[in-house]
Amino acid sequence: MVTRTIRWLLFCVFVLTVPLPMLGPWGVLAPTARYLLLAVVTAAVMAVEGAAGPVPLILALFAGHALVYLLLSWLAARLCTRLVNRLPAHARTGVVVAACAALLLIALMFDLYITPFGGLPHSNLLGLLS
Amino acid sequence: MKRVVLALLLPALLMPALLLPTPHATASEAPFERSEQRSPCTDYDPLRRAFFGDTHVHTALSFDAWGQGTMAGPGDAYRFARGEALGIQPYSSDGLPSRSIQLGRPLDFAIVTDHSDLLGETRICDDPSQEGHDSLVCRVVRRFPKLGYILVNGHVYSSELPSRYSFCGSGGRVCLRAALGPWQEIQQAAEAHYDRSSACGFTTFVGYEWTGMPGGRNIHRNVIFRNATAQRFPTTYIETPTQEGLWQALDQECLQAGNGCDVLAIPHNSNVSAGSMFTVSSADGEPISAEDAAMRARLETLVEVTQHKGDSECRPGAEDELCAYETLPYPRMADMAHVNSEPGQLPPLMYTREVLAEGLLQQARLGINPFKFGLIGSTDTHLAAPGLVAEDSFIGHAAGTVDSRLQVPAFPDRAEFNPGGLAVLWAEENSRDALFAAMRRREVYGTSGPRMTVRMFAGWDYPDDLCSGDDFVEKGYAGGVPMGGDLPAARGARAPKLALWALRDPAGKQSPSHPLERIQIVKGWLENGRSVEKVYDVAGEPADPDALDLSTCTTRARGSDQLCTVWSDPDFDPDAPAFYYARVLEVPSCRWNSYLCNRAGVDCDDPGSVPRELATCCDTGIARSIRERAWTSPVWYTPAGQR
Repeated sequence: MVTRTIRWLLFCVFVLTVPLPMLGPWGVLAPTARYLLLAVVTAAVMAVEGAAGPVPLILALFAGHALVYLLLSWLAARLCTRLVNRLPAHARTGVVVAACAALLLIALMFDLYITPFGGLPHSNLLGLLS
Repeated sequence: MKRVVLALLLPALLMPALLLPTPHATASEAPFERSEQRSPCTDYDPLRRAFFGDTHVHTALSFDAWGQGTMAGPGDAYRFARGEALGIQPYSSDGLPSRSIQLGRPLDFAIVTDHSDLLGETRICDDPSQEGHDSLVCRVVRRFPKLGYILVNGHVYSSELPSRYSFCGSGGRVCLRAALGPWQEIQQAAEAHYDRSSACGFTTFVGYEWTGMPGGRNIHRNVIFRNATAQRFPTTYIETPTQEGLWQALDQECLQAGNGCDVLAIPHNSNVSAGSMFTVSSADGEPISAEDAAMRARLETLVEVTQHKGDSECRPGAEDELCAYETLPYPRMADMAHVNSEPGQLPPLMYTREVLAEGLLQQARLGINPFKFGLIGSTDTHLAAPGLVAEDSFIGHAAGTVDSRLQVPAFPDRAEFNPGGLAVLWAEENSRDALFAAMRRREVYGTSGPRMTVRMFAGWDYPDDLCSGDDFVEKGYAGGVPMGGDLPAARGARAPKLALWALRDPAGKQSPSHPLERIQIVKGWLENGRSVEKVYDVAGEPADPDALDLSTCTTRARGSDQLCTVWSDPDFDPDAPAFYYARVLEVPSCRWNSYLCNRAGVDCDDPGSVPRELATCCDTGIARSIRERAWTSPVWYTPAGQR
C-alpha cells in the first residue's frame, strides 16, 4: 500500500468515525461526516426556502465545524501515515487495515455518538448516517 | 347647581352597587349575560367561588410540542385536567408511552391554546396522506427534529418577516387548508369535554396562541373565546405579524361578527419581550391613540404573570427583593443560549408592575388606561398536561428546549424554568359565561402553583374588625369592589381600605402544602407625573430563612393557615391615581431542582460523584428554594377629576 493510499484511507476512516465535540450548548459528539451531513441538509433548506432567520448562522456553524474537523482529520491522517511509514514495508498494510477495521467495527457496534439533532440521543455509525 | 352635581354623582355612586352581586341573587338573576344553551348549574353561589384552572396548554397539534415527541391531543389534555392519567414520551417503537402522569387534584377548567402558526404544517409533516408530507422541510423535521425545530422556529415564530414554506403552495393555501382539521379538532375537544350538565363539573374554552416573536422578542397572546362561536380560522403571526393586527382581526372576525362571538387576548411572558409586548407607540412611531388604547383595554383584560418560562411580575434587582423570583436571566427568548449580564440592562416595560404604572400615565394622557390588567398564572405546558405544577415531582414541560422525545432527561428542564402556575377565577358557577365574565371584570388571581384562596376588596368604609365576623365576603362586596375593580370616588381625604383574606392551600395528604407567611400590598401611583411604587407588609411576618432544610425539604417555619386583615393606605393622596394588588407568600420551600437533586442523592461536597447530566444540581447560581405565592388582580383608584 503506497503512502498516498494509506493517508487517504486513514483520513476517510477518521472523518467517518472519530467523535468530535460541537461548540456551544448542544452537547454533540459526532464524527466529521455528521457535521458535513448537517451542513448539506441546512444548505439544501436554505436553497429551497431562503435564508430567513437563523438558517445562515446554523449553516455557518455546521460548515465551520465540518471544515475545521476535515482539516484536523487530514493532519491526523498525515501524522499517522508518517508513523506507519516507520514500520517495515510488509507490515504497513496489515497494521493500517487492522486499525481502520477496528475503528469502523467499534463505531458500528457501540453508540459512541451523542446526536441531539437526530432522532436518537445516542447512536452508532449506521444510525448516524442512515 | 347642587341638583346638577347630585344628578351627575348619583349614577356614579349607584353604578358599583348595581354591578355587584347581591347575596340573594339566584342563577336566573346572574349578573352576567348568558350566551349559550346549557343546563343551569346546581351549584350557584352569588358570592362567588374560586375556580382553579390553566389557560395555557399545548398539545401534539403545536409544532414545538409535536417536535418534542408529545402525542397527546386536546381531548387527552382535557381528560388529564379532569384527573385522568396521561401517558407521555418517550414512546416505544410500538407507540407505548414510557411514563404516566396524573394530577393529584383535578382542575375546574382548562383551555387548550395550541399555536395557530404552523397548525397546518405540523399536520402535513405528521400525516403521510397530506400533500407536502415528503417536502424537504418535513423530511428534515422528521429526521433531524432539533435541527428542524431551530430552522422552523427561526423561519416563522422568531422571524421579523415570517412566511410560509414553499410546500404550503401559493398564498399558503395548502397549509391553511390543512390547518382547518386541527382547528376543528380543538373546537370539538372543547365541546366534548365541557360539562353542560347541571353538575357543572368542568369547563373548557376554545382558544389558540398567536405566536409572534419578532427578532426573538416575545409578544405572544393566548386568544380565548367566550363560547362555541369562534373565528372561522385562528389568526396567525405569519399572516398578521403585529399585535395591532391581531386585535383588529379579533374585532372584525369576532366582536363585530354579530354571531355571538366574544373574545379576550392574554399576553404572556413579557419577561422575554425585551419591552416589545406593551408598547406605548404604534408601528409608525406615533404615541398610541385613545382608540388604540380602548381596543387594547377591551380585548386584553388579563396578563399571565407567571408560567413555566419565568415570572413577569416585577423587575429583578428592584428595591423589592421578592422580585428575585423565577427570573429569567435574559430579556429575549433569542438570548437563551447566552445569559444576560446585568438586570440594569433590561429594557423598560418588561414586567407587569411597571406596565401597570405605565397604564396610570397613559390614563392621564389619553383618559383611558390601556394596561388595566388582571393577573393570572398558567403552565404553558407542551406535554398536554394542564395544571402540572407540583415542585416535588416536576418532569419538565417539554417546551422545545430538552430532548424529551428521545429519552427521560436526568435534569428534566432548563434550570431557570419552573413548573408554572394556575389561574383562579372568582365566579358564581363553573360555566363558560360565568368564568368569562370573571376574566373580563378581572376578578381573578394567579398563583405559582399552590391552590391558596385569596379574597381582596377595596372600599372606603370597611370596619377594622371585618375579619372577626362571618360575613367578610358579603360586607366586602357590599362596601366596595373586589380585585380587578375600580374604587368608587373618594369621599373626602380619607384613605381607601383594603380587606384581605388568604387561606392556605388545603392540598392533600400525599403532597401537603406550605403555610402562609404574609400578605403584602403592592401600590403604584403617580407623583409629579412619575410613577412610584411601594410594598407594604400587611399581615403575617417574614419567616426565618434558615428554617428550611434544603437537604430534606422540611421546614421549621410555622406560618399560618389563614391571614386576614383590613389595611388602610398610610400614604394615600386623593389627587394621585394609584393601583393596589396583593401578594400572598408561603413560607420558603424547596424549588423543584432541590427535590430532584435530593432524590438523585447528589452530593455537591463530592463533585467527583455527581453525574455529568446532574451537574446543574451544584450550580450555585440556581435558586434552591422559593416562596410560592399568589398575586391578586389590582384595584385602581382614579381621582374624581380624572375619571
